[in-house]
Amino acid sequence: MIRLEGVSKVYKGDVVALRNANAEIQRGEFVFLVGPSGSGKSTFIRLLNREEVADQGRITVAGKDVGEMSSWKVPYLRRQIGYIFQDYKLLPKKTVFENVAFGLEVIGRPRHAVREQVPAILDLVGLSRKADRLPDELSGGEQQRVSIARAFVNRPLILLADEPTGNLDPGTSVGIMRLLDRINRSGTTVVMATHDRGIVDSMRRRVIELDRGVIKRDESQGVYE
Amino acid sequence: MLYRLWYYVRETFTSLWRNLSLTLAAILTVAISLSLVGSSLLIREGAARATAQFQEGVEFIVFMRADATVDQDAAIRTVLDTSPAIAGYAYVDKESAYVEFQQLFSDKPELVESVTAEVMPPSYRIVPANPDAGNVAEMARQFGEQPGVKEVATATDAIRQIEDFSNRVSQALLVAAVVLVGVSALLILNTVFTAIGARRQEIEVMKLVGATNWFIRIPFMLEGTIHGLIGAGLAVPALFIVDRRVLAYFQESDVVPLFRGFAVPDGFVWDTSIWLLVIGGVVGMIGSAVAVTRYMDV
Repeated sequence: MIRLEGVSKVYKGDVVALRNANAEIQRGEFVFLVGPSGSGKSTFIRLLNREEVADQGRITVAGKDVGEMSSWKVPYLRRQIGYIFQDYKLLPKKTVFENVAFGLEVIGRPRHAVREQVPAILDLVGLSRKADRLPDELSGGEQQRVSIARAFVNRPLILLADEPTGNLDPGTSVGIMRLLDRINRSGTTVVMATHDRGIVDSMRRRVIELDRGVIKRDESQGVYE
Repeated sequence: MLYRLWYYVRETFTSLWRNLSLTLAAILTVAISLSLVGSSLLIREGAARATAQFQEGVEFIVFMRADATVDQDAAIRTVLDTSPAIAGYAYVDKESAYVEFQQLFSDKPELVESVTAEVMPPSYRIVPANPDAGNVAEMARQFGEQPGVKEVATATDAIRQIEDFSNRVSQALLVAAVVLVGVSALLILNTVFTAIGARRQEIEVMKLVGATNWFIRIPFMLEGTIHGLIGAGLAVPALFIVDRRVLAYFQESDVVPLFRGFAVPDGFVWDTSIWLLVIGGVVGMIGSAVAVTRYMDV
């Protein structure tokens, strides 16, 4: 599903974000990216959906060479990839329903699809009763559920998560991880960058550890350290 | 498809409304600049019509009698061909004269119907070697005495003054208009830029979930185009006011009697209006396209 071959990325000022990274992630895998701040976790994720372009090497996502892809095809790549963030990136003036619907409307999905899929996904994330609330009326955990609903409503092949529990307390984080686990078990490949030792150690999934841009460790059923 | 169209319309008008003060400024600037463009074109056309027969150095016109004989005509032609005082001339036969008459009075069909090509006098439009007024008057007098000549019309100083006046006015208006059109484009660019800024978050999310670049751009480009079109729409009534009030004032007042011919048919005003709408739309589209490509990095 995802393959990195000799991938390097250097930012301005010779900041090495990734050096000669090689990894292969199969369909349906759940992968934690761990490592200190600045170790290249975010760059790893941003390269996968072409927010960044690698300086060297080859990245293949869902059978497509991401680096060689012409820019007009990038939106279609991103429709295969859900993306969630530490800060949720919800639109403050739209309700929960509208935030999720927005993700479908702007890729040109017809109205009846929006009407069917949004309530279904809100049910999945447990927010059916809060569909008409605005984001600032929700707790942090609920907001992250909305953002997961938006990322997953189009049933992407891959879900990328950049520190999704970074702003949440441990109890709430467990709930979010249960949700991501459930999504993963439905066949979606999940790649999640995290600092959260407790989560990594309790889930016992594949762990890729990055250190100053180099993949230091890659083990299945790994722990944080 | 209909749903998407509705999306574009909704997004565009939400943005227009949210940004009302800048939107109004942009629209009014477009309206003013296009009114000036239109007025300049109307004045130019009015002057051209008022002086239509005296273009390109023609200083006097010899009208032949409709029943002039071939010999009489040949005599005039011989003088024109041989005299060193004549720099050039053009012969306008009955048919051409009739066509020109129809064009000049296209807004007065009853007048056009009352004549036929047969009654139109053929004429020679003459460019003298020396366009000095005294010289022209003397030549006109001589031609007037020839057999078969009905009358001789000279381009008087007044006609030259109309041309001169209208050229200056329409050129000054056009310069002001071009500057203002540039200002409008910049204002539209700025308005659209502000609209993009107000929706940064939405644009970021749209890109992440895989909206195409055109899907993101279209509402903003529509917004700019609508600024231009509404502005041009306001310029159209302004243009008719210029036609009905300003040009009509010249025609009806006795202050400047020679402006009597300064009539522009409605058809021309409508044609000009369509051009203003096209210019407005294009200016808006260009302004917003620049804003979108420069600031949206999608």
